[in-house]
Amino acid sequence: MRGFLKHNSLSLVFLCLFIAAIFFQAIAGHAVFNEEQDRHGDPHISFGSYITSSAFGVAVMENWQSEYLQFTLFVLLTVWFVQRGSPESKELGKEGRGSDKEQLVGEDARADSPRWARASGVRRRIYENSLLLVMGSIWIGTWFAQSITGVTEYNSEQLDPQEETVSWLHYVGSADFWEKTLQNWQSEFLAVGSMAILAVYLRQRGSPESKPVGAAHHSTGVEG
Amino acid sequence: MSSRATLATALAIACLAGVGCGADEERDAAAVTERFYEALDRNDGRAACRELSATTADAVEHQEKAPCHDAILRLDLPRGGVAAKSRVYLRSASVDLAGGGIAFLEEGPAGWRISAAGCTPSAPGRPYDCELEG
Repeated sequence: MRGFLKHNSLSLVFLCLFIAAIFFQAIAGHAVFNEEQDRHGDPHISFGSYITSSAFGVAVMENWQSEYLQFTLFVLLTVWFVQRGSPESKELGKEGRGSDKEQLVGEDARADSPRWARASGVRRRIYENSLLLVMGSIWIGTWFAQSITGVTEYNSEQLDPQEETVSWLHYVGSADFWEKTLQNWQSEFLAVGSMAILAVYLRQRGSPESKPVGAAHHSTGVEG
Repeated sequence: MSSRATLATALAIACLAGVGCGADEERDAAAVTERFYEALDRNDGRAACRELSATTADAVEHQEKAPCHDAILRLDLPRGGVAAKSRVYLRSASVDLAGGGIAFLEEGPAGWRISAAGCTPSAPGRPYDCELEG
């Protein structure tokens, strides 16, 4: 047990932070929702009703989709794009998918390589792209969920005060959907871009997200 | 993810969105609307006022300077009506009448109640014009 905790401490700490953050988001969101109910002269709803509502759903999904888009694009674009001096980047001149020998696949796989890395054909293709496929699928799924929860919340606001509701198709072309989408995308792209360039010149001793403190600014693709 | 798990996840998301899992709520909203218009049709102001939200009932009394059960019968509202289509989004609903017109409802502790009735479209993108609203 102690070994499990120690070996998985990074993911466990982030899991705990996620659970705490989403719990307190629900608390704050429930309070805001009922404040809005007061403004409309409508009755309060319970915490349980709020966290099973589209109002909470869209608030969660619009953030999740942008996070998974961030990772999807980061995983994909770092195959071919480089940033000189950044630990987030491959070394200059190593753009592309890499050779089988470098990627330890097929005949070049080791004894402890994952089974599908040793395989050939479709299975290896899938495994070679599994990170992108899963991240991308989660992004698409959560973006779709944002659209579904978003149109419900949008239409509930339309009905008070007595305005026309819209279809899902109309909603995904609406300013409301794209404002929610793009406000999240811009922050994700800024964060990744900032990290890529700031890590060229700044250091955090001990973090694999940073170069070693004494590494030169032009050193690319090295970890601390 | 297995196909069964994928379907379950999609249904859960749809339920969260209030889509496709609100058939009971749509029926409830339609029933309240039909009871309201049936009460007007038999000139039963008290029964009609029971289907109104508190805010809307107060608004009627304030507007007509009379108790709700009297005031409601003075308004130019359709008498009788069959619900043709209901839409429920979270705690708001709209019910189209088969003979034309639309009613708006809100869900409170006592269930669905009429918040606006006798509504007809105004200019595109603008709220409906309603004979009765809270």
